Amino acid sequence: MIEVQNITKTYGRKQNAFLAIDDVSFTIPGSMTIAILGKSGSGKSTLMHAMSGLDRPEKGQVIIDGQNILTMKAKAVDAFRANTMSFIFQSFFIQANESCFDNVSLPLEIAKVPRAQRKAKVEAALTAVELLDKKKSRARDLSGGQKQRLAVARAIVNEPDILFADEPTGNLDSKTGEVVEDFLFNYIKKNKAILIVVTHDPDLAKKCDARIEIKDGKISKVTGLEVKGKK
Amino acid sequence: MKTTDIIRRAGRSLRQAKTRTLLTSLAIGVGAFTITLSLAGGQGGRDYADAIVSANTNVKEVAVTKQAEDADAIAEYDENGAGQVSGNSPGPFAQGLEFISQDDLADMTAIPNVEEVTPGYLPSIDYITTEGQKKYEASVSTFSPSVSLEYAAGSVNSDLADDEIILAEDYATTLGFSNPNDAVGKTVALGATKLSTLFTVPDRQEFTYTVRGVSSESGLAFRSQGSLLISEKASEQLYDFVNVGTPNYNKFVVVSVIVDNEANAAAVKAELEDQGYTAQTAEDILGTVNTFINVLLGVLLGFGALAVLTSVFGIINTQYISVLERTQQIGLMKALGMSQGDVGKLFTFEAAWIGFLGGAIGSGVAVLAGSIANPSISEALGLGDISLLIFSPMQVAVVIIGLIAISIAAGIFPARKASKLDPIEALRTE
Repeated sequence: MIEVQNITKTYGRKQNAFLAIDDVSFTIPGSMTIAILGKSGSGKSTLMHAMSGLDRPEKGQVIIDGQNILTMKAKAVDAFRANTMSFIFQSFFIQANESCFDNVSLPLEIAKVPRAQRKAKVEAALTAVELLDKKKSRARDLSGGQKQRLAVARAIVNEPDILFADEPTGNLDSKTGEVVEDFLFNYIKKNKAILIVVTHDPDLAKKCDARIEIKDGKISKVTGLEVKGKK
Repeated sequence: MKTTDIIRRAGRSLRQAKTRTLLTSLAIGVGAFTITLSLAGGQGGRDYADAIVSANTNVKEVAVTKQAEDADAIAEYDENGAGQVSGNSPGPFAQGLEFISQDDLADMTAIPNVEEVTPGYLPSIDYITTEGQKKYEASVSTFSPSVSLEYAAGSVNSDLADDEIILAEDYATTLGFSNPNDAVGKTVALGATKLSTLFTVPDRQEFTYTVRGVSSESGLAFRSQGSLLISEKASEQLYDFVNVGTPNYNKFVVVSVIVDNEANAAAVKAELEDQGYTAQTAEDILGTVNTFINVLLGVLLGFGALAVLTSVFGIINTQYISVLERTQQIGLMKALGMSQGDVGKLFTFEAAWIGFLGGAIGSGVAVLAGSIANPSISEALGLGDISLLIFSPMQVAVVIIGLIAISIAAGIFPARKASKLDPIEALRTE
C-alpha cells in the first residue's frame, strides 16, 4: 500500500519559485496499475520522483507499507529502493557497452544478492522478456524494442513490489510498444505488484486500472481510485 | 553493493574505454619506469660499492693520515729544505698533510687493540724490465692478502714471498711474454735510484723478483691500485734503498693500522682522532661512496616523482571526463538504490585500476629493459660480471602499491563529483 499525503514541492526561490506539486494526496491500496497523466511540465515526473524517494518534497509524506520514506536516512532510502522498487525510462538507460546479462545483473548487485543466486534470476528475467538468446550480446546491438525489453528485464529481475515506468513506450512504435506493455502488465499480475506509469499516452493510460490526471501540480481528475482528503 | 562487485564493474568500465585507460596508465607508467630503474640502480650501486670496498680494503684496517695544524695557511718557504729532493713527498694530492714520524708510529702501536702498524712505503722505482727487453715505467704497491685480486695466471692464496711479484696483465704482455701463463715463474727486475745521490753520482740498482701471478683487470679493483705488487718486506727494502739519507726518510703520509678485530675498528679510529690524526675505516669509505650514490638516487627519484605528479593530473582529468560522460549511468545506478558511497567507490576503484596498470606496465618494462641492458651496461663500464641494476620483487611491489595509493588520491575529486550527482538531473531526458 502506498499512501501519498499532502505532497508539495517547489522549484527555485523567491520570485522565481515554481510550485511543481501542490498538496497532492492519494492512496494506492494494493496491487494494481495506475497511470499518472499530464502534459509535460504538469509535475507528473516530480510526483514519481517524490514517491520513489529520489526527490525530497518540502511538505507531505509518502508512506509505503507503513514506512514514511521521506524521513528515512539517505542510505536507508537507497537500500529500500534497491529492494522494493524499480524503474523503466523512456530512453532505456541501458549500458550499451555491457552485455545483456551484466545490464540485468546490476540491480541484483546493488541489492547485494549473492552471486550464486544471480545467474538464475537474470536468466529468468531475460526469459520473461524473451531475450535469453541475447544473454551474451552487447546491449548496443539490440533494436529499440529489444532495448526496452532489456530494461523491463532489468526492472523485474529483483522482483520489486513497486515499478515506476516513465513514458515506457515513448520511444517505440505502437506495435513494439504494445509488446513491452504486455511484458510489464504480465509481471504485475503475476507478482501482485504495483505499476505506476507516468505518461501522456491516453491509449496506455486506458489499459491501467486507475488514472490520476495532473494539471499545474494538482490532481485534476481521478478514475478508478478512491482519493482521501480534499483535492 | 559488495566491494568485489564494485571492483569488477570498475574493471569492466575501464576495459570498455581501452585506449583511454591505456593512455592514462602509460602516463603513470613513465613514472613507475623511472622510479623502478632508479631504485634498481641505487641497489646495484650500493652493492657494487660494497663489493669494491670489501674487495679493496681490509675491514680490520684503519688508514691514518695527519692533518697539518693549519692546513689552509700557505706554508713558509724553508731555506734548509730548498733544493732537497724528497723521496716521499706528499705531493700536490696531499696538500695540507703532515708526515707521520717514527714516534707517531710508536704512539699508534701503543693504542689498545692495535695489532700492527704498517707505514705506506710507496717506494718510487724507475723502471721494470726483464731479460732481453726494454725498460718500462712502473709503480709499485704493497700486496695485502685481504684485498682480493683476480688472476689471469698463477695465484696467491696467503702471503707473497719477499722475492716474488705480481704483475698486471698489461705488463706481462708488454714485457714480451706470449701469454700470462708464460710469465709465471720468470724473473723480472725493478730499477731504482738512491735519491740522496741523484745530483752527485747516482747510485742505481736493480732488484730481481720471480713472477708469482698475473692479475687481470677486475671490475672491482680500484684503478689507482699499483700495477706491480710486492710483499711488505720487499717494499720496505726498496723504500730504504731509495729514501735513505733524504730529509723525509722514515716519514710517511699514510699509515695503515691493523686492528685485532673488526668490531674494534671504530674505537681505534676514535682514539686516533683524539690524538690528532685523521683516520678512515673501510666502513667510512663505503659510507662516502654510498652518500654519493644516495644523492644520485635522490635526483633520479625526483624525476620519477615529477612524472608521477604529471600523471596525477592526467588521472584526475580522465576520471572527471568519465564522470561527465556517464552521468546517466550514475543516475540510473542511484535510482536503482546504489548509495553515494558505493558510487564514489566505483570511481575510486577505477582510479586504483589505472594506477595498478600503470605501475605494472612501467615496472614491468623497467625490469625487462634493465635485465636486457644489464650485460651491455656492465660491459660499457667495465664491471665484469657485476650487474648495475638490481631489481627486487619487494621494491617493484612497493612501487606498484605506492602508485595505486597515489591514483586513488587523484581519483578522490572525480569520485566525489560522481557521488554528489543528483540522479533526477542525471536522468532528465530532453
